[in-house]
Amino acid sequence: MNWTDPLIVMTYRELKRFVRAKSRLIGSIINPLIWAIFFGLGWSSAFNFPQARMIFGGVNYMTYLTPGIVMMTVFTASFISGVTVIWDKQFGFLKEVLVAPTPREPAIIGRALGGSLTALLQGLIVLIVLIPLVSKIKLLGIMPVILIGLLVGLSFSAVGITLATKMTSMEGFHIISSFIMMPTIFLSGAFYPIRTMPEWMKALAYANPLTYGVDLTRYYLLGTSDLGIGIDFLVLIVLTTVSLTVASIIFRSATID
Amino acid sequence: MVEYTIVAENLVKKFGDIVAVNGVTFKVKKGEIFGFLGPNGAGKTTTIHILSTLIRPTSGRALVDNKDVVKEPAEVRKVIGIVFQDPSVDDQLTAYENLYIHGRIYGIRGKDLEVRINEALKFVDLYKFRNKQVKTFSGGMRRRLEIARALLHEPKVLFLDEPTLGLDPQTRAKIWDYIRMIRREKGVTIFLTTHYMDEAEELADRIAIIDHGKIIAEGTPDELRTLAGNEVVYINFDEVKEKPPCIEDNFVEECKVLTSDSIMLKVRNASEAMPLIFEELNSKGYKIKKIEYRRPTLNDVFLYLTGREIREEEGSDFERLKAIVRRRWR
Repeated sequence: MNWTDPLIVMTYRELKRFVRAKSRLIGSIINPLIWAIFFGLGWSSAFNFPQARMIFGGVNYMTYLTPGIVMMTVFTASFISGVTVIWDKQFGFLKEVLVAPTPREPAIIGRALGGSLTALLQGLIVLIVLIPLVSKIKLLGIMPVILIGLLVGLSFSAVGITLATKMTSMEGFHIISSFIMMPTIFLSGAFYPIRTMPEWMKALAYANPLTYGVDLTRYYLLGTSDLGIGIDFLVLIVLTTVSLTVASIIFRSATID
Repeated sequence: MVEYTIVAENLVKKFGDIVAVNGVTFKVKKGEIFGFLGPNGAGKTTTIHILSTLIRPTSGRALVDNKDVVKEPAEVRKVIGIVFQDPSVDDQLTAYENLYIHGRIYGIRGKDLEVRINEALKFVDLYKFRNKQVKTFSGGMRRRLEIARALLHEPKVLFLDEPTLGLDPQTRAKIWDYIRMIRREKGVTIFLTTHYMDEAEELADRIAIIDHGKIIAEGTPDELRTLAGNEVVYINFDEVKEKPPCIEDNFVEECKVLTSDSIMLKVRNASEAMPLIFEELNSKGYKIKKIEYRRPTLNDVFLYLTGREIREEEGSDFERLKAIVRRRWR
């Protein structure tokens, strides 16, 4: 059986759904913008002294925060998009794929791709809105950031899909959002540098894949990297491969029991 | 020789300690509508899920179009279409887009796909609404869209799981028309589950009555009715000279004079007995004013077999809850 049709059509479905659900789009952009503007601008004026700028790599806090907020947007949107497979499971669309004589791997990879493209788009919209508020930005850096966003989006869509395929109840959805999403964001270096964290927190931050996406984005938009972009790319590529493989394997044997 | 499209032998499905399907055996002939009638929780949906390769049976064997559902699920999936009990169309997309996605998943493309989608939408009278989002559709329209979708890839076997659950009577009658039309025009073998007596009677050529995971009776609606006992014919006479006559003949099981101008006859088969009754009464010079008969319903059959009635309820609490959650989240 061919792989392209299910892959393309599942991506198409996610994109169509995204275009239709305008309220969801607004909701998912407003939240990071509120963080960026109220949290970011608030702290930015409090940290308005030279030593503080050194902590944030020579830029003001608002500028430091912006790449983090972009990655937070991509992460949240793609992860939730993956987890919504649980609605598909409860409400039938999943069954539609499961009874079809199509290989399941491309169907689920297509869904992850769709989720990551829409997440990327949301991240870019947030970035564009925030550009007037930052003191410095490398506009050409947006090109590599698109690739980074895509990798981060694919990985976390796949992680979300894996969790949702294994979840049996919708209650799990809320547990996931508080136990996975918030810590992942806080431990990614999006809001504050990892260098100054307590050791135990630092360890968690290094174990957090989102950290590498944030570091890369900051490198391409602002020119500073804490971890080195070689290791960043390596981690992201490995993460994307592994998470998509795991999601495919889990979904291949999915039943509706 | 009769060709069988579905053969199920001793199917068993256990979920932990619960035995959902407990040794079910039946055969569905090519081109017929086979009804699975039983109360909620009898194992109807589980059986459909086994036959459509969505779950594996704990034991037993099932063939769909001569392909084993466990050993060759991919082959089975090519020849089946299914309308699930729970809605499974995407309500944020349009009718056309839903069918488009389905077609592509089944490997249909381009002009061919476009032609098929339009045909399918016309078949269920939704062509006018093809570019409307499904969330604006009524329950009946959604069900029709699901039927169109299940037919898009021209399956040999169509599974319908409670096709009119939760629909109002008019919409139900309309869905029945479509189901009959599918059989007539497309020659598809249809396996349908229902807990509505009238639906099984209206649509099915043969019915299996299932309860607690077991088939307790199988046959045509007429055959099943005879299980519950005799049919009853009531006759009113126009002018009776003295006393209404009773008919003593071998096709009559019992005859009783009810009033001064009416009698009641218990017969094996009313449709065959009536001409004989007319003949007999005419030859004796009696004038019939009114004749009516009551056949045992499938409900009587179920009552007779299990001592319980099939409750005519609209889905379980769980289904209703899901409907509420769905409205809120989507």
